[in-house]
Amino acid sequence: MNAIQTFKLTKKFDSLVAVNGIDLEINKGELFSLLGPNGAGKTTTIRMLCCLLKPTRGTASILGHDIVKTPFAVKDVIGVSPQDTTLSERLNCWENLALIGKVHGLSSDTVARRSKELLETMGLMERGKDQVRKFSGGMKRRLSIAMALISDPQVLFLDEPTLGLDPQARRNIWDYIDTLKGKKTILLTTHYMEEADSLSDRIGIIDEGRIVALGTSRELKTQFFEMQSMAVSTGNITAEVIEDLQSKYSRLEMTKGKLKIYHKDLDFKGIVDYLHSRGITVYSAALEQPTLEDVFIQITGKKLRD
Amino acid sequence: MKFWEIGKRNLKEIYRNPVLLGFLLGMPLAFMLVFVAATGGGQASPIALSVVDEDSSQTSSAFIQYVGGVGAIELNEPVYSEKSEAQEELDEGKISFYLLIPAGFEAAQQTQQTINLELIYKAADPMMGLQLKPIIEAVGSEFLGVAPPLNVELKGTESIIKNPAVNFYAPGIVVFGLMILISTAAEIIAGDREKGFLARMFTTPARPWDFILGYSLPFIPVLIISTFIYLGVGIALGLTVVGNLGHAFLVFFLIGLCGIGIGMIVGSLVKSESQAGVSWIFIVPIAMISGTMFTVEYMPSALRSVAGALPFIHAVDASRAVINGSSFSAIIIDFYWLIGWAVVLFATGIVLFRRTMVS
Repeated sequence: MNAIQTFKLTKKFDSLVAVNGIDLEINKGELFSLLGPNGAGKTTTIRMLCCLLKPTRGTASILGHDIVKTPFAVKDVIGVSPQDTTLSERLNCWENLALIGKVHGLSSDTVARRSKELLETMGLMERGKDQVRKFSGGMKRRLSIAMALISDPQVLFLDEPTLGLDPQARRNIWDYIDTLKGKKTILLTTHYMEEADSLSDRIGIIDEGRIVALGTSRELKTQFFEMQSMAVSTGNITAEVIEDLQSKYSRLEMTKGKLKIYHKDLDFKGIVDYLHSRGITVYSAALEQPTLEDVFIQITGKKLRD
Repeated sequence: MKFWEIGKRNLKEIYRNPVLLGFLLGMPLAFMLVFVAATGGGQASPIALSVVDEDSSQTSSAFIQYVGGVGAIELNEPVYSEKSEAQEELDEGKISFYLLIPAGFEAAQQTQQTINLELIYKAADPMMGLQLKPIIEAVGSEFLGVAPPLNVELKGTESIIKNPAVNFYAPGIVVFGLMILISTAAEIIAGDREKGFLARMFTTPARPWDFILGYSLPFIPVLIISTFIYLGVGIALGLTVVGNLGHAFLVFFLIGLCGIGIGMIVGSLVKSESQAGVSWIFIVPIAMISGTMFTVEYMPSALRSVAGALPFIHAVDASRAVINGSSFSAIIIDFYWLIGWAVVLFATGIVLFRRTMVS
C-alpha cells in the first residue's frame, strides 16, 4: 500500500483549474518533493491532502484513508507544517506543542517526553518557556516543524518549510528533515531547488495544475536536459567571435566576461582551440552538469507567474 | 477533551494580552460609570413633582401628603387646584411634569371604582415621566389599595429604590455591555483564521464542537467577572436590588452566552478580524431596539416584534423586573426564551464551523 495515493485529484476555483486530475503515488518512507512555479497548484494539492479543501473531482487516500469520506481518520495520521508559521503567539514552545499533542489525543506524559526530545533536536530548549511572539523567523519555523511532529505522524506535510530563512537556519532544518528520511513519508513543497535536490527521493514538477515531470533528480536531469553546457572565462572576446559561436551552437549566454555555451555533445577541446586561434585569452573553461533549476526552467519556462 | 485544550489555549491568549484583557474588563467599569453619571445617577436626588388637586378632598390631600413622604419624590409648592395653572408652568419650563388628581378621586376611592391618575410631562423628556410612573403607581396602589397596572412587586418599592434612574438604566447597560462579547469572540476566531492558525488546527482530529466549545469557554470567566463588575459598580452608584440578585445574574449570564454564541457564528462566517468588527453595525441597532439604552414603549410595533423575537429585550425586561422586585415566576418566559436562543445559537455555530473546516 502506498502512503499517499491520488486519483484524478482535481480542484477548481470558479473557472480556474488549480489542480487538474493529478495521479500520484508516494511510497511509505519516501521523501517526495513537489516543485512548481507560484500558483502551479502545490499548496492546493497539500491542502486537499490535509482535508482542508474538498476536491472538485477525484480523491486521494492517506495510508488507505479516503480524504473525502474519512477526513478525521486522515487527520489522525498526518502532521502538517503549513507555509505560514502559524503558531499560538502568546503561548510558549511547550504550550504550543502540548496543544497539538493533546488535540491528537496524546497523554500528558507522552507530550512532555516528545516535547523535550523535539525542543532539544530543534535547538529550542533554552527558549522553551518564552512566548513565541518574541522568536525569530527561523525559530518559529523550527517550532512549526516540531508541532507537525509532536504526534509522531506517519505522514508529514511540509509546505515550504525553509521559506524566508537564512542559510544557517535552512541547513539546520535540512539536516533534521534528512534524519526523518525512511522513517516517515514526507511530502515537501519548496522553491529551493537545492533543497529538493539534496533531500528528495523523488521529485514531481507541477505546472498549471498538472504533474509535468516525475522522477529522481538524476532521472529528471537526464530526461529533460539533453544539452551539455560549458562555461568559459575570457578576457578579450569580440563581437565577431560571439556571432560566430552563436551560429554554431544551440544557445549562448554572455555575462561579465563569462561565456556559457549550450549544445548537445559539446566539443570541449574544439571550442578552446577555436578561441585560441582567434586570439582570445581563455582564463578557465569547464564543462558543467545541468542543475535541477536548469531542468525546472526548461520544463516550466521563464515566463513570470503570479 | 480536545475542546478543553483549545479552550486553555484561548484563555491564555486572552489573559496574556493586556490590551484585550484591559478592554474586556475595563469596559464594564467605564461603561457603567459613564452611563450612570450621564443619567444623573451619581447622587440619589429626589424627583421634583408638582400636583394638581381637582378633587380637593380629604382623601386627595392625604394622598398628596403620602406621595410627598416618598424618599424619591420632592413635592413642589404650591399644590395647584386648576390644571391650566400647572400646564402653563409646564409650558414655560418652570416645572418638568405634574400629577393630576381628577375630581371624583375620593368618591371613586370610597366606591372602589377605577381611579385614573395622570402624569403629565414634557414630550421632549419622556424618560423622567417614565421613571416616575412606576413610583406613582406603586404609591397609588399602596395608598388606595388598587391593583397596579405594571407587573412589578410593590412591597415598599417606592421607598426602597434610592435612585429610579439607576434602576431603570443599569440592567440595560449591563446587557448592552455584554454585547461586546459578540465582537470580541468573533474577532478572536477571525484573527486565528486570518493568521492561518485555525487552518493548522483544522488539520488535527479536533471536531467542530471542540472548536466552538474551545473558543467559548474562555469567555465564561470574562462574562462572570464582567457581570460582577457591572453589578458592583451599579450598586456602588445607587442601584437598589429589591429582588433576587442571583436571578438577575442568571439572566445576565444567559444573555452573555447568547452573545458568545453569536460571536461564534460571526467568527465562522467572516474571513478576517476587520470583517468581524463589522458586527457592531448590527449590535448597536439591536441594542437600541432592545431597550438597553432607553425605553421601547413608544417604538413602532413592527420594531417591537423584531426586538421581541431576539433575546436581548427579554434579558433587559427580565433583569429589570427581578432587580426591581419581581419573582422568578414573573420572568419565566423570558428565561426560557434566553435558554432557547443560547441552544440555537451554539448549535448553529457548530453547523457553520463544520462548513468552514473544509472549503
